[in-house]
Amino acid sequence: MQDLLDSALQRIQASATAEELEAVRVEVLGRKGVLAQLSKDMGKLTAEERAARGKFINTAKQSLEGAYEALKSRFESDALAKRLDSEWLDLTVPSSSAPLPATGPGSLHPITQIQWEIEDLFRSLGFSVLDGPEVETEHHNFDALNIPPDHPARDMQDTFWLEGHHLLRTHTSPVQVRGMEKLGPPLRMIAPGRVFRNESVDASHEHTFYQLEGMMIDRNVSVGNLTFFMKTLLSEIFKREVTVRLRPGFFPFVEPGFELDIECLICGGSGCPVCKQSGWVELLPCGLVNPHVLRMSGIDPNEWNGFAFGLGLTRLVMMRYAIDDIRWLQSGDLRFLRQF
Amino acid sequence: MKFSYSWIREFVPGLGSESGGVTAQSLERLITMKTAECEGIETAGALLSGAVVAKVLEVEPIEGFHNQKALVDAGPYGIKTVVCGASNCRAGITTVYVPLGLKKVSGVMSDGMLASAAELEINKDHGGILELDGTQPLPVSDHIIEIDNKSITHRPDLWGHYGMAREVAAITGKTLRDPIDLSLLPAPGGPVKVEIEDTHLCPRYSALVFENVTVQPSPLWLQARLTAIGLNPISNIVDLTNLIMAELAQPMHAFDRDKLVGETIWARPAREGEAMPALNGETYALTPSNMVIADASGPIAIAGVIGGRDSAISASTTTIVLESANFNASSVRKTSSSLKLRTDASMRFEKAQDPHNTVRALARALELLPLLSPGIRLVGGLADCGRELTAPAPVTLNLDWLARKLGRSLEASEVRQILESLEFGVTRPDAENFSVSIPSWRATKDVAMPDDLVEEVGRMIGYSSIPLASPLVLCKPSFDPPERDFLRTVKRHAVAQGLTEVSNYSFISEEEARRFGLAVEDHIRVLNPIAAGQELMRISLLPGIHRNIVENARHFDHFRLFEVGREIHKSPLSEHTHFMAAIFTKDDGRSALLELKRVAEGLAPGLRVRPAAPSAWEHPHRAAELWWQGRPLGRLSELHPKLVENGRAAVLDLDLDLLRELEPERAKYQPVRRFPTSAFDLSILTPERELAATLELEIRRFAGDLAEAVEYVTEFQGPPLAEGRKSVSFRVVAGAPDRTLSSAEITEVRTRIIEGLSGQGFELR
Ligand SMILES: [Zn+2]
Repeated sequence: MQDLLDSALQRIQASATAEELEAVRVEVLGRKGVLAQLSKDMGKLTAEERAARGKFINTAKQSLEGAYEALKSRFESDALAKRLDSEWLDLTVPSSSAPLPATGPGSLHPITQIQWEIEDLFRSLGFSVLDGPEVETEHHNFDALNIPPDHPARDMQDTFWLEGHHLLRTHTSPVQVRGMEKLGPPLRMIAPGRVFRNESVDASHEHTFYQLEGMMIDRNVSVGNLTFFMKTLLSEIFKREVTVRLRPGFFPFVEPGFELDIECLICGGSGCPVCKQSGWVELLPCGLVNPHVLRMSGIDPNEWNGFAFGLGLTRLVMMRYAIDDIRWLQSGDLRFLRQF
Repeated sequence: MKFSYSWIREFVPGLGSESGGVTAQSLERLITMKTAECEGIETAGALLSGAVVAKVLEVEPIEGFHNQKALVDAGPYGIKTVVCGASNCRAGITTVYVPLGLKKVSGVMSDGMLASAAELEINKDHGGILELDGTQPLPVSDHIIEIDNKSITHRPDLWGHYGMAREVAAITGKTLRDPIDLSLLPAPGGPVKVEIEDTHLCPRYSALVFENVTVQPSPLWLQARLTAIGLNPISNIVDLTNLIMAELAQPMHAFDRDKLVGETIWARPAREGEAMPALNGETYALTPSNMVIADASGPIAIAGVIGGRDSAISASTTTIVLESANFNASSVRKTSSSLKLRTDASMRFEKAQDPHNTVRALARALELLPLLSPGIRLVGGLADCGRELTAPAPVTLNLDWLARKLGRSLEASEVRQILESLEFGVTRPDAENFSVSIPSWRATKDVAMPDDLVEEVGRMIGYSSIPLASPLVLCKPSFDPPERDFLRTVKRHAVAQGLTEVSNYSFISEEEARRFGLAVEDHIRVLNPIAAGQELMRISLLPGIHRNIVENARHFDHFRLFEVGREIHKSPLSEHTHFMAAIFTKDDGRSALLELKRVAEGLAPGLRVRPAAPSAWEHPHRAAELWWQGRPLGRLSELHPKLVENGRAAVLDLDLDLLRELEPERAKYQPVRRFPTSAFDLSILTPERELAATLELEIRRFAGDLAEAVEYVTEFQGPPLAEGRKSVSFRVVAGAPDRTLSSAEITEVRTRIIEGLSGQGFELR
């Protein structure tokens, strides 16, 4: 019996090709193979012999199958290596030697489209467009914006903390700080970009989204100027005359701070499900820049003042196209993206 | 924070007046426009309107049902038959009847219902119908206005009803009634001694001691009031502390006097190694950064956060110490976040409460306790300890400046009236300025500079009264960082080449990092990831792009996509903007790679491709580096087949920071040739893996100055060529700037090339 097993093992190992190996497998491990024969006359054996035979067959089966599998996977990886080798390509040939694809243009992400559109609008009004890092220091993201450690206002922005005492910016306001430090007053700037909040994701919440924050610093900037400016801007964005209103809102980097509402574009103010029957839709936070923030950025608040605002680009995209689920935006799904 | 309309109305009685009254609905709108954001308005105890006290006359079982049929004397509604399922429904009890109309229940016509305390929203008890002792009136239903907590983060005073009532009085011009009678307070000298170790962390600690206390359920009106604003009624003493907290924003705590050790109460930092079993059943390990209240045996409360279990009020309590203290906001916040324990008290203290308020709360307790625990007696005087309370210097408010900030002219009298209605003190040292003193409840954090007063005046005159006006600004050209336009160029180019832009998360998983041969320790780790699989910051766009390929391959046979995004590197900490494009196809993959090469060449004209050692994620024979102006600009490769099923994916990765830094070489003008050129083709027989780029270089080397261009034309493999050989054809264009080349000269160029190549071991066909 041992001889039988040894020779079977040898035959497996001697296989030179996958085809040969497969043929040997059938002969050895198949229904009419060596092992099957060994178990055929089991019925004639005594109980003791049967147990010994069963044990032998089991061990034999394991070692034969092991040898088979090992060789099989070697043949497979050899075959793959051979196939990949045969696929060698000379990438130094000119790209013009490949046929031009029969394809139309692709498309820009809807966030990019709205971001460019709004950047251009601000550029036409003399604003600089700045960006900063996505990984920020606590100082730029919070302290310099009048949100000191242990201030309850930190709860307003659930933060992703990184090792090494850094964080993912929760707003693009740090860019405003950098802008004030770099460019000084008078200043008109916007900071569009990707921001992060540690929030569970569902159809209307994302941990990764896009914002555009802006500020205007000059000699005499009033609440009336802010309202006028936002109305002008939003009318351009929505391509129609909008009505805005301010109400108190608390944001540590502005004083006074406002929530800006626009009259509901769906019902025109008479009340509908979109505006929860109130006639108004909360759109953006804004306010006059807090003198502490100006001072921390090296600007004298007795000489200069200004306003700041934050616009949710993701929110605008959702509104413009009536997108039902915010998760599509970061999905990479071309069934969604090709529509824009 | 939930506010009860009827509670506010107690302090602003004019809200309920016949003429000029203000409904809860209008109040909600007014508060939204002038003070803080309201999230909604709801009715508390809806069933209470119309409910009456009723007596159960008779009860009989209904055959086959658990329910019983009760005959009830429902006072003004008359005698009613009601089907009731409560086991405590029995003849003789006094309970509450609610008219609901006729309805068949368990086969019997039931006219109205008998209600439990939970159904009436008085407390959470739904174990049976409410049994009354006949001495208490039924509470009435109420309107609850919910305010967004975030919008009152800066207003410690608005964490209590009285603070909101002050706003409401100012908004509506009605009179505010202060419920506090400080004359009720006893003289200083308490039966307990208070020691504060650090008056910065505990500016004030006040307390009263009471004896002959009966701990029992609160009256129904108090239970209903707490339930309506989302607090749980527990017992009269605990409910009193919650009531005053919800009224005055002053958290309080009651200790069982008999369970305290010694005569002294300390407010001090916890000692290293101290721990305290708390009211919520947890035991908290404390450090010196946590303030505690302690007796001689150790901590009895975590200051401003939670009381201790061992000194808690119980049914057998007869003597209490009623604490009304003030704690430092950031110290309470630090403790509450380090213990991960947010309580109604810590939420208020972290907003910086007014230390003047401690004794007001005790005065209110003195008024209410006799009603809640009849027979209760004050022991001794007022324990009151802390630092001296100083008023902040008045703020100078320049009226002209105020008008300019708002963008509206204002009468001085109007400004004064607004500030005084909010209890600011106003004097006028000269014509231009007000000197404004800040009330203590606004002075802890909220109001400190004239800009804060702009808000007070602005919101009260109403922002809608400010005329819109265009800003008049200084002329200054804008500064536009060049990278913005550059990124636009890149994206437009990609789109023109048929690619669709995707946007992927900045997070990847450890497993993804490993799959692409990226060392996990090279990534910045997110300390509080939102979900498993998002714990690392990406140092390559590849994992995201790979996900896009796999997912889109389920829907499309071929597609092109790209992302412009940031890699975030750890050491040194830096962000690099990269462009990554991918083309998925079902063919042999050659044209996809060349197409991506064309995309790269469009951005970096003349870039060089060099075969590269493949990474584990790359097809081992289809990986190349891209070099431009002597710098490595990126990579072009096909993904390893084990990463892509049923197709092939070519990917291109370009370092956009480098690309932007290396501007294309400035064009060098050569005079346009006036003399015709001649072209001839060469076919070179080479081993099949000779690179076209190598051959081209060789041809140029031997062609000399007269070769104007060397262009790859095509290549061929197969019979009659020998196995392992290929034929590559080039077109050489020869010419000279000053003459037409003679055929002899052209032949010479050709011969030079052929001989040169032969010398290098190449064969020409
Ligand atoms: Zn509407």
